[in-house]
Amino acid sequence: MVDWVSACKLEDIEAEGVIRFDHGGRTYAIFRSASDEVFCTDGLCSHEAVHLADGLVLDYEIECPKHSGAFDYRTGEAIRMPPCINLKTYEAETDGGLVRVRL
Amino acid sequence: MDDLAYGTRNKRGDWQPKEPADIAPIWSFPPQPLKVLKWLPHYFLPYDVIFFASAFVWWYWVLPDVEVMKTLAWGWILKLFLVNTVALFAFFGVFQLRLYVFRAQGTRFKYNGQFPADRKSEAFWFKSQDIDSALRILFHAMPIWTAIEVAILYAYANGYVPWVSFSEHPWYLAFIVLIIPIIHETHFYLIHRLIHTPFLYKHVHSVHHNSVNPSPYSSLSMHPVELVLYLGMAFWYVIIPANPILALYALHRAGFGAIPGHVGFDKMEVGEKGGVDTHAYIHYLHHKYFEVNYGDGLIPFDKWFGTFHDGSKEGDARMQARYQEKKARMNAKAAKAGMTGA
Repeated sequence: MVDWVSACKLEDIEAEGVIRFDHGGRTYAIFRSASDEVFCTDGLCSHEAVHLADGLVLDYEIECPKHSGAFDYRTGEAIRMPPCINLKTYEAETDGGLVRVRL
Repeated sequence: MDDLAYGTRNKRGDWQPKEPADIAPIWSFPPQPLKVLKWLPHYFLPYDVIFFASAFVWWYWVLPDVEVMKTLAWGWILKLFLVNTVALFAFFGVFQLRLYVFRAQGTRFKYNGQFPADRKSEAFWFKSQDIDSALRILFHAMPIWTAIEVAILYAYANGYVPWVSFSEHPWYLAFIVLIIPIIHETHFYLIHRLIHTPFLYKHVHSVHHNSVNPSPYSSLSMHPVELVLYLGMAFWYVIIPANPILALYALHRAGFGAIPGHVGFDKMEVGEKGGVDTHAYIHYLHHKYFEVNYGDGLIPFDKWFGTFHDGSKEGDARMQARYQEKKARMNAKAAKAGMTGA
């Protein structure tokens, strides 16, 4: 069932940063852009299942810490080898300083 | 040196040369004789001269008499392993210490603005690229290197393969010396394509590709199967009638010679204004982008088969076009299996 879930406070994520969020037996990555927008994707790289929360966020890209593959975290699109399969994305929003995601 | 006179640095701190990488100019059309003349000394200089000399050093000062090598005995084999290992760590260590430990030139001319030691990664043993690579060299590369060397020397010593002497056939052996880089490039390209097939990539070659930001010890940080395939190029000189010293040269070229592509810097600075080109860019791009530059450019295999990337925007566009096609195929497949998002 799809539902909005409170994930964290906005201040928990650095600007141009990412944190890990686990819920319902799955793991996600929640991103905060330089302009304080929030986004949520699956947490694991589609290449070798390494968590993206350990990766580097630059503009709207998340770079996987293992092989430096990259995704656009707004759309989940794989944009640099080696990953080829896009990430699933989930709606995310801020509400009074809280980050909520629709899972 | 001001590296920005030779290239540009992006927001991440990655440096890129202004001049795109190129294949050997002997393949230029229309022919460019002046460019070829300028390039010719680089066919052997500086690296091949070192490895050719080291082969003679090993033959005359490290290896025992041929009579001793007729028998597989621990004494000479362990000594050879020890000398190989010390020599390899000393040779790679010069680059590692200067560029990565003392960081003598900072990130000037460094393709990737980060140093592997500053970034711990689960991909590596002890989360360290340098420790992981050094251990793989010690426990995988050097035993395999020595085993291949011993097998070749044992075969020559016992007369199992034809031994061509320098005194009787100097011109033939000079020709073999001339084509050793060509055989190396062809062998490397073919095994490299082979280990990029999905099964072998996943189980073998991915070990080497963990070094996305390669450093000197990454050079021989490989799975044992890859090491056998790669260093095994020295076996060509028991198939082709040759001389054991040339087999040693080919082995040293493969082993010690793995470093240029993995040094991570475009130039090694010498003094205030001087610098030695490393010729590392083509292989660096392979480590960065995975599915380009399977060869090193002496023979234009990658141009012939559409996988050449020279670091330019045009090269990037060609790679992206291939990537988009592959992505479309894989996402369609994943969508059927209910795995993908956007």
